[in-house]
Amino acid sequence: MERQLAMVLDLNKCLGCQTCTIACKRLWTRDEGMEYMWWNSVNTQPGRGTPRDWEDLGGGFREGIPEPGRIPTRREFGEAWEYNHREVFYGENASGSGGGAGQHLQIQGEKPDWGPNWDEDQGGGDYPNSYYFYLPRICNHCTHPACLEACPRKAIEKNADNGIVTVNEDRCRGYRFCMEACPYKKIYFNQAKKISQKCIFCFPRIEQGVAPACARQCPGRVRFVGYRDDRDAPIYKLVDKWQVAIPLHPEYGTEPNVFYVPPIAPPRYDENGEIDELNPRIPEAYLVSLFGPKVIDALVVLGEEMAKARKGEKSELMDLLIAYKWKEMFGGFDEDPAAIEWVKS
Amino acid sequence: MGEELKVATGIKRRTVIIGGAVGAATLAGGGLLLRTLKPMEEPHAPLAGSATPLPRPSYTDWHDVYRERWTWDKVVRSSHFVNCWYQAHCAWNVYVKDGLVWREEQVAEYPQTNAEVPDPNPRGCQKGACFSERMYDPARVRYPMKRVGERGSGRWRRVSWDEALSDIADKMLDTITEHGSDRIVWDIGPLYTEGTMSAAHQRHIMLLDSTSLDQNSEIGDAHRGVAETFGKIGFERSADDYMYSDLILIWGSNPLYTQIPNAHFLTEARYKGAQIVCIAPDFSASSIHSDLHVPVEPGCDAALALGIASVLVDEGAVDLDFIAEQTDLPLLVREDTRRYLRSSDLRKGGSDEQLYFHDEQQGISPVPRRSLALGSLTPTVDGRFEVELASGETVGVRTVYSLLREQLADYTPEKASALCGTPPATIRRLARMLARARAAAMVTSSNMDKYYHGNLMERSQALVFALTGNYGKKGSGFVGFPWLDHDALEKFIRSMFGVGDMLNPTAIKTVGGMLAKQLKWKAQGYTDEMIVYEQGRSVISEGRMACGALFWYVHGGLLEASEKLQEWDPYLERPVREVLEESLSKGWQEVWPRPGNDPKMLFVLGANPLRRIRSYPLVLEHLWPKLDLIVTLDWRMTSTTVASDYVLPAAAWYERDEHKWVTPLMPFIHSGEKATSYYEAKSDWEIISRLTEKVDERARARGIESFVDRRGDELPLHNLYAKFSSNGEYGHTDDEKVCAYLIDNASNLGDLTWPELKKKGFARFEKIGHGAVAIGNATEIEPGETITPLTKHVFDKMPYPTLSRRIQFYIDQELYLEMGEQLPIHKAPPLAGGNYPLILTGGHTRWSIHSAWRDDSLMLQQQRGEPVVFMSVVDAAERRIRDGGMVRIFNDLDEFEIMAKVSRSMRKGQLTIYHAWENFQFKNGKGFQNLIPTPLNPVELAGGQFHLRPMVIALQPGHTDRDTRVEVEATSDGASR
Repeated sequence: MERQLAMVLDLNKCLGCQTCTIACKRLWTRDEGMEYMWWNSVNTQPGRGTPRDWEDLGGGFREGIPEPGRIPTRREFGEAWEYNHREVFYGENASGSGGGAGQHLQIQGEKPDWGPNWDEDQGGGDYPNSYYFYLPRICNHCTHPACLEACPRKAIEKNADNGIVTVNEDRCRGYRFCMEACPYKKIYFNQAKKISQKCIFCFPRIEQGVAPACARQCPGRVRFVGYRDDRDAPIYKLVDKWQVAIPLHPEYGTEPNVFYVPPIAPPRYDENGEIDELNPRIPEAYLVSLFGPKVIDALVVLGEEMAKARKGEKSELMDLLIAYKWKEMFGGFDEDPAAIEWVKS
Repeated sequence: MGEELKVATGIKRRTVIIGGAVGAATLAGGGLLLRTLKPMEEPHAPLAGSATPLPRPSYTDWHDVYRERWTWDKVVRSSHFVNCWYQAHCAWNVYVKDGLVWREEQVAEYPQTNAEVPDPNPRGCQKGACFSERMYDPARVRYPMKRVGERGSGRWRRVSWDEALSDIADKMLDTITEHGSDRIVWDIGPLYTEGTMSAAHQRHIMLLDSTSLDQNSEIGDAHRGVAETFGKIGFERSADDYMYSDLILIWGSNPLYTQIPNAHFLTEARYKGAQIVCIAPDFSASSIHSDLHVPVEPGCDAALALGIASVLVDEGAVDLDFIAEQTDLPLLVREDTRRYLRSSDLRKGGSDEQLYFHDEQQGISPVPRRSLALGSLTPTVDGRFEVELASGETVGVRTVYSLLREQLADYTPEKASALCGTPPATIRRLARMLARARAAAMVTSSNMDKYYHGNLMERSQALVFALTGNYGKKGSGFVGFPWLDHDALEKFIRSMFGVGDMLNPTAIKTVGGMLAKQLKWKAQGYTDEMIVYEQGRSVISEGRMACGALFWYVHGGLLEASEKLQEWDPYLERPVREVLEESLSKGWQEVWPRPGNDPKMLFVLGANPLRRIRSYPLVLEHLWPKLDLIVTLDWRMTSTTVASDYVLPAAAWYERDEHKWVTPLMPFIHSGEKATSYYEAKSDWEIISRLTEKVDERARARGIESFVDRRGDELPLHNLYAKFSSNGEYGHTDDEKVCAYLIDNASNLGDLTWPELKKKGFARFEKIGHGAVAIGNATEIEPGETITPLTKHVFDKMPYPTLSRRIQFYIDQELYLEMGEQLPIHKAPPLAGGNYPLILTGGHTRWSIHSAWRDDSLMLQQQRGEPVVFMSVVDAAERRIRDGGMVRIFNDLDEFEIMAKVSRSMRKGQLTIYHAWENFQFKNGKGFQNLIPTPLNPVELAGGQFHLRPMVIALQPGHTDRDTRVEVEATSDGASR
């Protein structure tokens, strides 16, 4: 039976706190060669993102035809910075009395000009009509994965039972065609192991009925998890029934299985300091450039349902997004990981 | 692999169901197929018992590398015992592997309060999610270290615990015998738990009559305006109470940064129909999920609030019943003296605290003081009357409301707009939203108190909520300082004195004396709350919670930076030094040790004063040379440890049995069970316990039997450790027994026991309790109900602990009259640091709790790897500053370099540097703290009047930083290209 796991992320609840990022980092990418990897990243939009200007690096498909892409450089991803802590605390030229004239804590080596969250909270617009929102990203575990098609080693696999896309690390030889092909630029290269690596949708957790760490650890309660076709679970309702969750850059042609509830910002001011009822703070064109034209319909539905809630009327959609019971966000993947006791074989 | 399936029956069952999973997937030919545990149509079988045994994967293919990674040896519940305050706390499962903490993940078992509100799960934040990395990073302190070079030279010698404690104990005895016990000063900080750490510290300082500093006003968290208005600061709601609000004002706060685990209640309240308004100079992170962002000039929120108040009054949208019953607005003020009409005015020997209003039937009537209930009284809210005084003289008196109404003419939306920069239309809109709201709530943090005129801002905000009657109702209310704790700490401390201590002066003073006082207060009609505050005031005068800010001003030389204050503050008519002398001589405020008595030893307990204190270079210059010994207890290296003489390694948060205070926002006590050990680190309880024993031992060896304390009483030393340990009941490593005492003896945790708490990691408070701050919540904690503060005042008519026994907007203490601050007004921010065009503000960061994660590599990686200053595109362009370039920031005090972060969300004229970068993260150790003069606002030196006397964590002079004036320029490599 072919099924597809999916994730819905509600951008109206995302706090930009990066707990997802850190949860993923601490669980999966701490070994040598993985230091610079952020399988989960969150960026401020508008912004250049991670890797820097990833939307300009190509990949994916146009009308079914693969688009050329290029591999992001390490500089565009951002290096894992190293510091001189020991020198500051214990060195010959230590930092002095709470900060004297000695050595101060610095990134060692070349001074960076980018990192995974470099343009945090800078945003767009002109004050007082500034605008921004947070966009968390993982591998989209696409239905039509460009990375999979591009790999000459057939090292990229899409699991038939749950649709998780993984790099088979036994087969991968580090050719990095996948990195060129992925239009979302969510694949990293491990210099130590000479293989490509990326988000695995926490498959060892999924196997035990536990939601991925980025979702289960999210304090903003942003992420819904589950099978696309589970009609009783939130994913189906948000994506198919209410159609308020839409993929990022659908025009890339890979059919992502990560969906976003688009952001609703406060109104903008006109030049007299009055509320501008006609123009939204986040320009529609900008949202369309990210999420395609369906974003407008999604925003209309969200707006209508929020208006109902303000009048005190019941809204299934609002109740779903509030997620009164946290565990129900996970489409059945709600087991407690701490309840597992591993037995040494 | 096949054999492994037999390890436990549970495995076999699960494996059979799935025909795959961990083991079987790898059996099924190369492991290329990933299978889920079971098809999703079937609900998951409930896990049998608390743990489900599963075999660890053995290697078959690459999948098993990942599967093996996600395994562990044991799971222990803990939390992060740091003051995350508004967001405190979160229960974490700590996963231990090979004797080290491998990672952590939230417990996420909090109950839903009721079906109308979402549950709080999972809580947590990115800092908590990487403490397992932080606790082993290069900042960690592994063993006791003694300085061998100059202070701050970075030259250390590893010493044994015994050597360190012996040397420290001898220095303490020298200080006590040669200079006086109050010269030993403890600085406590954000790691203070109210659990075992505090139990040890409080017993130790009480027995040795040391001075310990109350830093709440110094750090700018004392909510002076709240205290001036309510007579207390500790009241806050539960975060799920927002679900009952229909209007939420985020004002002076940035919960998306500083309340990460709570913030979902705001986004979810919005989905439930609440309108969220974010009032902030910048388009802050919290603004992005709001329904209205209200721009305002930094430091000008009082003008905005008074603008709103003027619309409310003008448009008749005032809740007259509420203000007549709950506030001082109907109270009468003499026109001639600007002071309240008092009983002492009306008759000889009358009370100075009995105030009056005008009753529609009976005329001038004394304000009821034992209850807010008006009975048959109907106070006139707006009016002028004439009264004959005891002297025979007739004077005009006016209600506070009438004075206020007249003053609000200066704050029409147009006039207020000119002061605060908010468009008049927005001020009107906000006022009408408030007037229409069913339940308007405030989300605030300790921001306003960090402004020089923060008290005026808070008084004005409180006024807006009072005029609209938004207190006490579910989902409504302005709030103060969030605090909720078990109330057994003081009992534990005093329990070291038994019946055999009838002659012990400390016992007489603290235990015996208190009982007599309580009876007196009760007879005077004091509420339980007021009695608790009076007890707290006794602790202050004992020196156990001495004013921190004044300590640094007087002993740390900080007052030097206030010398230009008359140039900066146009309202100030005499030197602040003069006001300080007046305040100390009249006993309004106190300094320990007394001015002229130099401090000799400084213990730093989970604090980082050299990072924290604005203008800390003055402290290094003035105080440090006076100190014979500086001892810091911490788990990590800080700006303070590097300048200490001893660094003692404290256990990190997963390495101790402990519990900690929280807030009503998340009303669950949190605990931690020791998961692992690390080098020579010890719990704070153990360190202080061993130190106390060592002082005892050294005193015996040196033949010192007693010492004279600061009151002149002779205190014994021969049984010091016996007393500290309750005759051996609480030994060096008995942290758990201390926990058990505190939990068992708390009045507000029901039948909870320590073993239960430790196992679960958290437990809901059942009552507010009698804690020195938490009692101010003045409400009940009911099962199945969210928490709304102040219900005891609003519904049960309990008087407020103020002079007037009401929410009090008018203050007639002489300094307020001198400064023209008897009513809430707007005052332009001072030009602190000189007449420069930009205002340098701050705010708590998303990326650290205080400085605890400031130099953490993972957190830095998610920023720019070094400190940044946020600035507007306009200011940057005018100065040819580019994003990412280095800039020089300067004022009259100093200068420093920092990276510019040019942001479209910033308002022109404002720079922001978020909280708590360590000094050692700046070139030459010079950062923003060097530019902040923290001028002493003289009005904060007030005292004398009933509720203006210093109290625990409030109504003491404080430090401020938000008004700092600077200029900025690109450095040679920072200019735009």
